[in-house]
Amino acid sequence: MAKKVLLVDDSSTTLMMEQMILKQATDYELVTARDGFEAIACAVENNPDLVLMDVVMPRLNGFEACKHMRANRELRNVPIILVTTRGEEEYVAAGFHSGCNDYITKPINSRELVTLLHSYLGE
Amino acid sequence: MELMQELIEKMGTDADQSLTECLTARAKIYAARMRLQHTVDQADALDAIREIAANLMGCEELALYKVDHSKGALWLYWSFGIDPNTHAVLDATQEAALAEALTGKVMFPKQDRTGILLNAHNPVSAIVPISLSEVVVAVLVIFRLLPQKPSLDHADREVCQVLASCAGRAIGPHIPNVGTGESTCT
Repeated sequence: MAKKVLLVDDSSTTLMMEQMILKQATDYELVTARDGFEAIACAVENNPDLVLMDVVMPRLNGFEACKHMRANRELRNVPIILVTTRGEEEYVAAGFHSGCNDYITKPINSRELVTLLHSYLGE
Repeated sequence: MELMQELIEKMGTDADQSLTECLTARAKIYAARMRLQHTVDQADALDAIREIAANLMGCEELALYKVDHSKGALWLYWSFGIDPNTHAVLDATQEAALAEALTGKVMFPKQDRTGILLNAHNPVSAIVPISLSEVVVAVLVIFRLLPQKPSLDHADREVCQVLASCAGRAIGPHIPNVGTGESTCT
């Protein structure tokens, strides 16, 4: 059965790019959400194998959504990779403090993205 | 989806590029085109430009100027991430790169930096003329890149070409005629 990846970003541009990269380079099943609240609901409904989530989003940001997912019994062990334009040390630290497993900066490089996901999900 | 299929098929003919470089470039171009083609109003169009610059190219400092061809002047119309007072008005007659951009050519300034704009503290990464019906109606200046992005690569330059050719349909109809020379910054 194909691994399922939840893509979360308020930017349709980023979602399109991520979808195109992953559809071409992997066999992962993809689902999408546009903000933190939607991400939590979508994760509960779809039970993804990995969450790739933007940090700066309306309504509920990636850090807070990550904390909520970690507090959810069904989602606490799902790998969460945060995506952001901010690569400063304090930002990365905040990400890991919120419970994420990894961090990738924008603009996304396809090789880096696919390699990172493969490291968690296999090829 | 037809555009996506066309781009996917073209991938197979790009033998000279590595597969991942090709995939990144095609994904960026596809995303930029689709985003610009589906804008609903001016605010959405400007947001599309901001998204493309930040998420695809790695820049969060940009300014959009409306063009007054009669005076060779560029008036700041919209900006993001920069002080709008720094370059509120640009004189293309004093900036060779701007003058060339007004001919429709996307410019990637070199390090020697001639002119007022290019000598400013904030480095210019690209000057993108935005055309509508073959007339340059606006110029997008892309300033400093994010720290993790050392320079614009081949894929980014192709995205700039997409902005030059497609952004005009999204924002062009909304830019007011330049008459009084007033600038509007948001």
